[in-house]
Amino acid sequence: MLKYIVRRILEAIPTVLGVTLLSFVMIRAAGSPVRILLGNHYTVYRAAMLSRSLGLSKPLWDQYVIWLGNLLHGNFGYSYTYDRPVVGLMLQALPHTIIIVVVAVLAAHVFAVFLGSVQAYFENTKFDQIVTVVNYFFYSMPTFWLAVLLIIFFSIDLNWLPSGGIVNAQLSNPGFGDWAKHLILPISALFLVSVAGWARYMRSSMREALLQDYVRTARMKGASEFRVIFVHALRNSILPLITLFGLSLPVLLSGALFVEEVFNYPGMGLLYWDAVNSRDYPIIMGVTVFIGLVTVAGNLIADILYGLIDPRIQYR
Amino acid sequence: MHKRCQTTLPGGAVLSNVLEVDSLSVEFRINGEYFHAVHDVSFHIESGETLGIVGESGCGKSVTSLALLRLLTKNARVSGEVSYKGRNLLDLPDREMRQIRGNEVSMIFQEPMTSLNPVYKIGAQISEALRLHTQTTPRRAWQQSMEMLRSVGIARAEGVMGEYPHQLSGGMRQRVMIAMSMVCNPQLLIADEPTTALDVTIQAQILDLMRKLSKDLGTSVLLITHDLGVVAEMCDRVAVMYAGEIVEQGTAKDIFHNPQHPYTRGLLNAIPKLDAASKERLQPIEGNVPSLTRMPKGCHFAPRCPLVFEKCRAEAPGLFRVEPGHLSRCWLNDAQEGN
Ligand SMILES: Nc1ncnc2c1ncn2[C@@H]1O[C@H](COP(=O)(O)OP(=O)(O)OP(=O)(O)O)[C@@H](O)[C@H]1O
Ligand SMILES: [Mg+2]
Repeated sequence: MLKYIVRRILEAIPTVLGVTLLSFVMIRAAGSPVRILLGNHYTVYRAAMLSRSLGLSKPLWDQYVIWLGNLLHGNFGYSYTYDRPVVGLMLQALPHTIIIVVVAVLAAHVFAVFLGSVQAYFENTKFDQIVTVVNYFFYSMPTFWLAVLLIIFFSIDLNWLPSGGIVNAQLSNPGFGDWAKHLILPISALFLVSVAGWARYMRSSMREALLQDYVRTARMKGASEFRVIFVHALRNSILPLITLFGLSLPVLLSGALFVEEVFNYPGMGLLYWDAVNSRDYPIIMGVTVFIGLVTVAGNLIADILYGLIDPRIQYR
Repeated sequence: MHKRCQTTLPGGAVLSNVLEVDSLSVEFRINGEYFHAVHDVSFHIESGETLGIVGESGCGKSVTSLALLRLLTKNARVSGEVSYKGRNLLDLPDREMRQIRGNEVSMIFQEPMTSLNPVYKIGAQISEALRLHTQTTPRRAWQQSMEMLRSVGIARAEGVMGEYPHQLSGGMRQRVMIAMSMVCNPQLLIADEPTTALDVTIQAQILDLMRKLSKDLGTSVLLITHDLGVVAEMCDRVAVMYAGEIVEQGTAKDIFHNPQHPYTRGLLNAIPKLDAASKERLQPIEGNVPSLTRMPKGCHFAPRCPLVFEKCRAEAPGLFRVEPGHLSRCWLNDAQEGN
């Protein structure tokens, strides 16, 4: 098992390197940070000086090798705009992202597995049809648009929840309640878009499982319908979803990016977004590496989970 | 319709019927229309006896057996009466039906390879039956399941309890199925072609096992098969099915020594004679079982029957009594015809 994990991590290294190389080249094609950094003080001379001091006048390949060398020493570089180490900025933003992503993912999975299962059981009834339509509605809606709609409805029209940030600056002593309030809308936006997709997968996977012979055997034994669905069919039908879960982590993170931008929520997504706008290469590359690692870890976790749930799988 | 609830033996002992099936019909909805897969099937099973249902592939054997425990898919419409100890299973509330399933009436399926849940241990799957129907502790249930595994001839019972279905052969899986369905000591075991998917030597072992268990525990058996050899070995009485109907019914002796229906005779002729002296060729019945959507109008067997005549194509025969307890669905057995 340990050998398997180590092998999988080693195998992932070329992929992560490829991703970094690609982003390195592409972000430079999007334009230089020099003009943005200098703003009104821009002169050709100053631009050339700044370019040199940031190491941007070297050939692209050399720049990449230098960056990679630093990375291997755990050095993600300095942000151009904040003038602080990228690692510090990422570590500051990370907990905020983790909290909304983890809560949204867990809640979305539990709910989607339940919803999809019930839908499959009541296949083609009014209930199933209505849920399917609602699912499509959320599934086809862009994340940022959903986030905007949530703000319009719950923050502006109803004035129930804050529209962004993580603290209310007007409160002298903002506590846990205030913080939690700020989390509700970003989490809801991520939750809704994920539930819709997952419930659809779960519905078809459960539908398939309910047709299997072992389900009939369970009924023959006298198991209740609840037991048939949630004990006998469920464990089999979440297997394909676990693989999908690993693959969907990057998609989820990109969802978080839009959500954080719309809600002005100070997580990794917002950090990345601002960095792209100011061409802050070190941050962009730092976050890219992070997303690459999360993707690898997600796939690995999915594989291990799969093995825990399906006794037919053996790791070598 | 005449109904027997009890049979009085010459000695005066009273045998009650475990199961009485009266005009059972099953229709499937196919493209919005209902078609009969099983039509007007009636039979009974006496306590302790083994009734065989024989017929070619597709004649409705599995559908009949699944209908008894209400295990058919949602596109099925079932009518008639399935009376178990005086209660009609077909309109029992779900909760009461579940108390009977796996406990008083249980079933073994045709497909040993896929009938066990791939993600649970054998031990968990067998003891589940006990835990659903009795108040035993998990430990006791596990222990009892292991003993049951031993009595179905698995020597390595302790090891197998902790294994998963994919680690077992087809024959072993069918033994596990038998253990699972017998662990609550049911009154009636429905075995739908329990050996069809297994190779010949394993087949004989499984049949021996079933015969022994049913005798030891006094379980009645409904044995479904397409193999008349199996019937001859195992069954007290036999119902021959063709295209969703029972075409002949009687004791094993009636069926083997005095077959009436041309279909039964055809089946008997199709048994290969192992006796080396006889150079008789296998005589399978020409043609195929008609599909649900294309049932012939009169007698369902008419298109394949060597003795067919005018009336067979026009009108479906009822079940005629040949002797007490021996019935045949053939116009040739209609006493009024003067045969
Ligand atoms: N769920 C279903 N929907 C529609 N038709 C069905 C369904 N189940 C069975 N049938 C049809 O009913 C007929 C009887 O099928 P059944 O499975 O009872 O045959 P069988 O006698 O058990 O055959 P075999 O020996 O192959 O198991 C077949 O024509 C089959 O196609
Ligand atoms: Mg069958």
